[in-house]
Amino acid sequence: MISVGIDAGSATTKAVMVIGGQIVSYNIRSTTFDFLSASKTAYQNVLANARVDEDNVDLVYATGYGRNSITFADRTISEITAHAKGVYHLYSDVNGIIDIGGQDSKVISVNGGKVTDFLMNDKCAAGTGKFLEYTARALEVPIEELGSLALASKIPATITSMCTVFAESEAISLRARGFMKESIAAGLIESIARKVAVMARQVGLKQNVAFVGGVAKNVGIKAALEKELDISLYVPSEQQITGALGAALYGIS
Amino acid sequence: MKLQQFNSLNDLKNSYNTRLCQIVDERKAGKKLVGTFCLFVPDEIIFAAGADRIILCGGKDDTISIAEQYLPRNICPLVKSSFGSIVNKGCSGLKSCSHFGMVDMIVAENTCDSKKKMYELLRDYVPIYVIDLPQRPNSPEALKYFLGELYKLKDAMEQLTGDKVTVEQLKKEIESSNETRKLLHSLYNLRKMDPPPISGVAALKVMQKQYFLSTEEFKKFLRMLISEAKQVRANWTHKPRIMISGCPMSGGNTKVPEIIETKGGVIVAEESCTGTRSFWDPVDEGEDPMLALAERYIKIPCSCMSPNDRRIDNILELVREFEVEGVVYYTLQFCHGYNIEKYRIQQALKKAGIPMLAIETDYSDSDVEQIGLRVDAFLEMLS
Repeated sequence: MISVGIDAGSATTKAVMVIGGQIVSYNIRSTTFDFLSASKTAYQNVLANARVDEDNVDLVYATGYGRNSITFADRTISEITAHAKGVYHLYSDVNGIIDIGGQDSKVISVNGGKVTDFLMNDKCAAGTGKFLEYTARALEVPIEELGSLALASKIPATITSMCTVFAESEAISLRARGFMKESIAAGLIESIARKVAVMARQVGLKQNVAFVGGVAKNVGIKAALEKELDISLYVPSEQQITGALGAALYGIS
Repeated sequence: MKLQQFNSLNDLKNSYNTRLCQIVDERKAGKKLVGTFCLFVPDEIIFAAGADRIILCGGKDDTISIAEQYLPRNICPLVKSSFGSIVNKGCSGLKSCSHFGMVDMIVAENTCDSKKKMYELLRDYVPIYVIDLPQRPNSPEALKYFLGELYKLKDAMEQLTGDKVTVEQLKKEIESSNETRKLLHSLYNLRKMDPPPISGVAALKVMQKQYFLSTEEFKKFLRMLISEAKQVRANWTHKPRIMISGCPMSGGNTKVPEIIETKGGVIVAEESCTGTRSFWDPVDEGEDPMLALAERYIKIPCSCMSPNDRRIDNILELVREFEVEGVVYYTLQFCHGYNIEKYRIQQALKKAGIPMLAIETDYSDSDVEQIGLRVDAFLEMLS
C-alpha cells in the first residue's frame, strides 16, 4: 500500500510518502498564498523522489490549516489526530505532544497513538512561530540564530507582554536600556516557553513528551520548555513532517 | 437533517412578523409589553398582571459596535449586542430588530456584573425595573429575600398595568408555564433517541423563540413540532452525541452548533439558558403560588450563583439521560462566571469518563475555521 500525507500548514507545506509503514520520501516547502499549488508541488516532489507513478498511489490524505483546499486528496483529517498518529509511529511510548507551528500552538495528550485530550492557542500570536519571527526582526537576528543566541545568555531579561506587537516594543525598550541582545533573546524565548508550558500542564503532559513543528528546530525554545516542564523532550530529526506522516499512516489504517 | 422536513419549523421561521403584528395590536388595545433578559424573571407574574413579555437578549454581531460607544470592549457580546440593539437609532446604517424599541418597561435582574452595570446605563433609554437576586441559593435567608423581591415585582407590574395580580390568576399562569415545560420535556425526550429526529441547530432555533413568542403561540407550535417529530425516522446512522453546556445562545447566534453538526456530530441537549435550564424544573402547583415561584426560580443553576454544585450534578444527570458522548463547553468571551466554572466541570466530566472540548468565542465569524479544526479533532477523538 502506497499512501501520501499532505500537511498544508500556514507557513509550510509538508508531504510524506509511506510504503509498507516506512517513510520513503518527504518534502517541505513554503506555503505560498495558494495552498493547493504548494500541495501539488510537494506531492509531485515526493512522487519524483520515490520514483513512484501517481497512478500507483492508493491514498492521499490531507491535514493542516489548508486541508480543505487540497482537492486531490481522498480524505482530510485534523492535524491534531495526524500529529498523534505520526509521532506515535516515531515514539511508541509517547504520551504527549507539543506542536508549535507558524500560527498556532497545540498540546495533545496521547495514549497508544490516540488523542485523549488537546488544547490549542490560535487566537493570539504569543507562543507561535509568528512571535519568533517578529522578535527576531526586532533584535536584527536571523531567526535560525535566535535560539543559540538565547542559550548564550546567563541573565535572561524578563518579557511580560504576551502580545506579539507589544513584546516587540518591550524588546526595543530593553535594548534602549542597555540590555544585551542575548538576554533579550532569552527573555523572549522564555516567555513563549512559559505560555506553552501552561497549556501542557493544563492537559497534564508529564513524561514521554515529543516536541514537533517548525519551532521545535529552535534549540533555545526546546531548552526553555525542558526547564519549565522539568522533563527532556523527544525531538525528531525532521520536526515538521509528523502531521503529514500521520495523515499518510491514517490512510493505511 | 433538513429543517424543511418539518412544516412547523417553517412556521417558526415566519413567526417574527406575526409576533410583531400581535404586539402592535396588543399595545393599541392598551396592553403593556415587558422586556426581559433572563430566566430568573418569572414571567408568570408579568402575565398575571395582564402584560405580555418579550426577550431582549441580543445574539447578533451587528449592534456591538454601537454598544462599544458606551460600554467597555471587554465585556461579553451578549450584553453588548443587547444594549446596542436597544439604544440603536439606526445609526451607521445599522438596524436592530423592531421589537427592541417596543417595550414599555424592562424587568431586569442582578445576575452578572456586566448585565447589572449595563442596566444602569439603559435607564436613560427605557424605564427599567431590576429584581435583586441573592446569590447563595441554598440559604433559607436567600429564599425569603428572593420572595420579597418577587412581591415587589408583583407590585411594580400591578402599577404598570393597573391590574391586580390575584392568586387565581397566578395559579393559572403557573399551570400554563408548567404545560410549556412539559412540552419541552417531551421534545427533549425525542432527542434521547439514536439518531434523534431533530437536529441540534433546529432545536436551538426553537429554544430561541421560547421567550419571544406568546406562550400560547409557542405551545401551539411545540405541539405541532412534537407530533411531526414523532413520525420522523431520521435518515442517518449513529453520529457522536454532543451536549452543549455553558452560556446562552440568543436569537441570531447559532455559530457553534452549526459547526458541530456540519462536521458530523449531533447535538442532543443544551445545558444552557437556551436549553434545559429554562424548563427542567416545574413550579409546584400545590403550594402558595408566590412561594412556589421563588423556590423554583432561585434554583436555576446559573454561574452567578455560589456555590453552584447544582449545575455540576445537573450536567452529569443530563449526560446520563441523553447518552452524551462528548460535551462542548461553550462560553462567550469575558463571561467570567461560566469561564471559571469550566475547570470544575471539566474535572467532574473527566471523572465520569466524558471528554470535553472548551470553546470560548464571540459573535463574529473570525474564528469559524479555528473552531472547525477543534471540532474536527474532537469528533475524531470520539469515534
